[in-house]
Amino acid sequence: MRRYLGYAIVIACLGMMGWAVSFGTLPPADFTFSNGDEIKTIDPAISTGQPEGRIIWALFEGLCRWHPETLEPIPGVAERWEVSEDKCTYTFFLRPEARWSDDTPVTAHDFHYSLRRFLHPATAAEYGKELWYVKNARRFTTRDVSVGDPVEIELHQQPEDALPFAEGIVLRGTLVNVDDHGDDRPIFTVEIDGRTQRFQRTDEGSTDDGVTACRMLTYDFDHVGIRAIDRQTLEIRLNHPVPYFVQLMGFYPFSPVNRRCVETHGYPGWTRPENLVSNGAFRLKFRRVRDRIRLVKSPTYWNRDQVQLETIDALAVKSTTTMLNLYMTGKVDWITSVPTEVVTDLMERDDFKPSPYLALYYYLINTQRPPLDDPRVRRALAMAVDRDEIVERVTRSGQVPAYSLVPEEISKYVDYTPPAFGGFDPDEARRLMAEAGYPDGRGCPRIEVLYNTHESHKAIAEVVQAQWKRHLGVDVTLNNQEWGAYLTSRRQGRYMIARAGWIGDYIDPNTFLDLFTSDNPQNQSGWSHDEYDRLMKAAQVEPDNQRRMELFHAAEVILLDELPMIPFYVYVSQSMVRPWVTGFYHNIQDVHPLWAIGIDESLREKLRPGSRGLRIEEARR
Amino acid sequence: MTAFFLRRALWLVLTLWIVFTVSFFLMRSVPGGPFSQERELEPQIAELIQERYRLDDPLWQQYLRELTAALRGDLGYSYRKPDFSNAEIISQGLPVSASLGIVALAFAVLLGLPAGIISAVRRGTLVDAGLMLAATVGIALPNFIIASVLIILLVFLIPVFPAGGWGSLNQLILPAFCLGAPYAAFIARLTRTGMLDVLSQDYIRTAYAKGLADRVVILRHALRLAMVPVVSFLGPAIAGILTGSLVIEQIFAIPGLGAHFVEAALMSDYTLAMAVVLLYTVLLYTMNFVVDLSYSLIDPRVRLE
Repeated sequence: MRRYLGYAIVIACLGMMGWAVSFGTLPPADFTFSNGDEIKTIDPAISTGQPEGRIIWALFEGLCRWHPETLEPIPGVAERWEVSEDKCTYTFFLRPEARWSDDTPVTAHDFHYSLRRFLHPATAAEYGKELWYVKNARRFTTRDVSVGDPVEIELHQQPEDALPFAEGIVLRGTLVNVDDHGDDRPIFTVEIDGRTQRFQRTDEGSTDDGVTACRMLTYDFDHVGIRAIDRQTLEIRLNHPVPYFVQLMGFYPFSPVNRRCVETHGYPGWTRPENLVSNGAFRLKFRRVRDRIRLVKSPTYWNRDQVQLETIDALAVKSTTTMLNLYMTGKVDWITSVPTEVVTDLMERDDFKPSPYLALYYYLINTQRPPLDDPRVRRALAMAVDRDEIVERVTRSGQVPAYSLVPEEISKYVDYTPPAFGGFDPDEARRLMAEAGYPDGRGCPRIEVLYNTHESHKAIAEVVQAQWKRHLGVDVTLNNQEWGAYLTSRRQGRYMIARAGWIGDYIDPNTFLDLFTSDNPQNQSGWSHDEYDRLMKAAQVEPDNQRRMELFHAAEVILLDELPMIPFYVYVSQSMVRPWVTGFYHNIQDVHPLWAIGIDESLREKLRPGSRGLRIEEARR
Repeated sequence: MTAFFLRRALWLVLTLWIVFTVSFFLMRSVPGGPFSQERELEPQIAELIQERYRLDDPLWQQYLRELTAALRGDLGYSYRKPDFSNAEIISQGLPVSASLGIVALAFAVLLGLPAGIISAVRRGTLVDAGLMLAATVGIALPNFIIASVLIILLVFLIPVFPAGGWGSLNQLILPAFCLGAPYAAFIARLTRTGMLDVLSQDYIRTAYAKGLADRVVILRHALRLAMVPVVSFLGPAIAGILTGSLVIEQIFAIPGLGAHFVEAALMSDYTLAMAVVLLYTVLLYTMNFVVDLSYSLIDPRVRLE
């Protein structure tokens, strides 16, 4: 018996080897790019992040698209739009030829459904706040209801003909009483068609005496400023003018989703390639975790004639060195970042053109901690940072030294030129320190810089440490923490100075300046300035664009006077892309929509190493 | 025999429960959570997210809920990749890691075993010294260095292999070799030690005395017993190698399981981290069990209790 067992083991081993080395074949895609880390989701409503954006923008199309070069909103599903006199009401006119991938038309009702889903408390969209410009949207999302408000109640029971994952029966009425009886789940009394009923939110469908269990009770969405006037017309009413609102509607989280698809399969079932119904230039062929996402051109997309690529592979590659290896061996056509160590060598190449984009590297200051509670000390620290040394010696890929919160590059797109706080001036910095009572750093408490564990953050912190010691005589200790711990320390204010970064969501000074208003959770500096808040509030509701920018400017002047943060540099995009790729532009948001990308075949033939064109060249020589 | 199996099965269940409990509370005691990020959310939205993923319940309720789900075999959905259930993530990653691991093991055994045998038989010669030097280097060099050197050599200087990716046989060779090399070195050293030990025993002298050929004595009589330490090493090694390697997977862009172990833990992806930890526990336990079984096959003196 033992002998047979021996044979069995040998055969099993051979069988396993055979299985291990057998592979299916996969025809290569027309265009392959490395999309960074594995994406979180393709559900637009709950997505955040650039890699997610690249895929969602290929699969879905919003009301407008962004021009690949200028980022101006250009018609998407909406063929045109109108803004009312007071700049608070937008009317989008949808093109009749827009189609879902199941060949049904994309209508205004789809957008109504999708935006409602986006705002719905149960969706918990991370970008939710960006749509709170819409009338009453905030109240709908946060379930902020008070007596007298119109409310909607979703019951646990579903209508009879509903799809499996559709909402429960929805009742609408007026809230007449809230009884919170010390519980975190109050009992709401609602008047519906002249009769009052009592409701309580529960996880299950149980009801007790006289109280109806409901899944959700929130502000009535019928009173939120989103309305489908007819199949082709969508009206959105805002609380105050938002100059970038149309551009915002082209942002990927606001892409429409197909109601039938979502309600049939639910989340996450509807995001599977076999179930997904989308409306963009591409469809999802398959998705393998940490391997690749394959996209194929959609035959139902209204603008299909302009889409050049038939198949696209988005590889999930985390290591930048691996990305570069794949690029150098011709396996991918576009990589989204490169290893810092080789940046100087790559700078000489034609296919590597780092260009500034709307993102800032800065240090956040805890203004509650002495000596940092003294604006003179903050100013001195900011002025003693030699940013040129940082960008030339450490980051080395064309980052632009920053002297303001809003990156200066924004002035190419909107009518805003940020003020500057003065720049590198060690003499003035020393004078300020002396004035604050710390001549040559004497008596100045030790300052701690917190950063999340990463080589590049460490390198920058060490340079800053040396500069502050050299110019101000201040002792600096460095403290690195793992990501989760670092975020917690920041949130709880257990830091003196913390590394930070911010990527602008849209092209407007507000996306940066808003970070330091008193009520912004991002403002962890402990800094609060009434005049700053007032100016920011005034700017938000100001209909006149020039006046609005002046208000922002005044606010930023205050900020740069008080300096609850120290700007370091503006990030650069680090895309490396083959010269024969067309429709790829370096823009301020580092956005490169895949529907615009094409391949110049003749140029590729000529340039590709080992290609026929090149061999002929060599033969001639 | 049946009692032996039953006892082992019982211990597995107990081990899994302890691993589950310790991991559950360890992960949640670390600052941050699956949704921490530099972009601070509006507090109301942060609350809604906690509610959506039911992270707002008391810890013991979450523990009981997840324990009962795990008992039903439901490993839940990943927090960081919510489009996929953890079972799907594992079922996509495990075959890749397994395939890579099997080839790596083949390299390890096919290189390590002969090297060990030869150096034991040729003890004290230059061959022995050379092979053992190579083995020491193989153990001492971290595999990312081996990988980097091989990439420069075999991808860029002499372009034989692709730089990375997954989906064809030639993409498998380089990473499998890099993954297998340290194991080959270990196996070579263990085989050598085992062989030397066995070769000095009486029954080997008897075999030679009977006039058997060198080859027969070494391969049939000596090798068998010399394999015992190798097999003990291979058991846990297989569990490790099948669940992938973060370093090799990152360097060669391979969609295996290895990265999930580290990333899920770092990103506080509680459910995915739990799923891979439980998977590893089961594999490790099973392999150790198989090793114990195999002793009785290799060594006639061993009986299962």
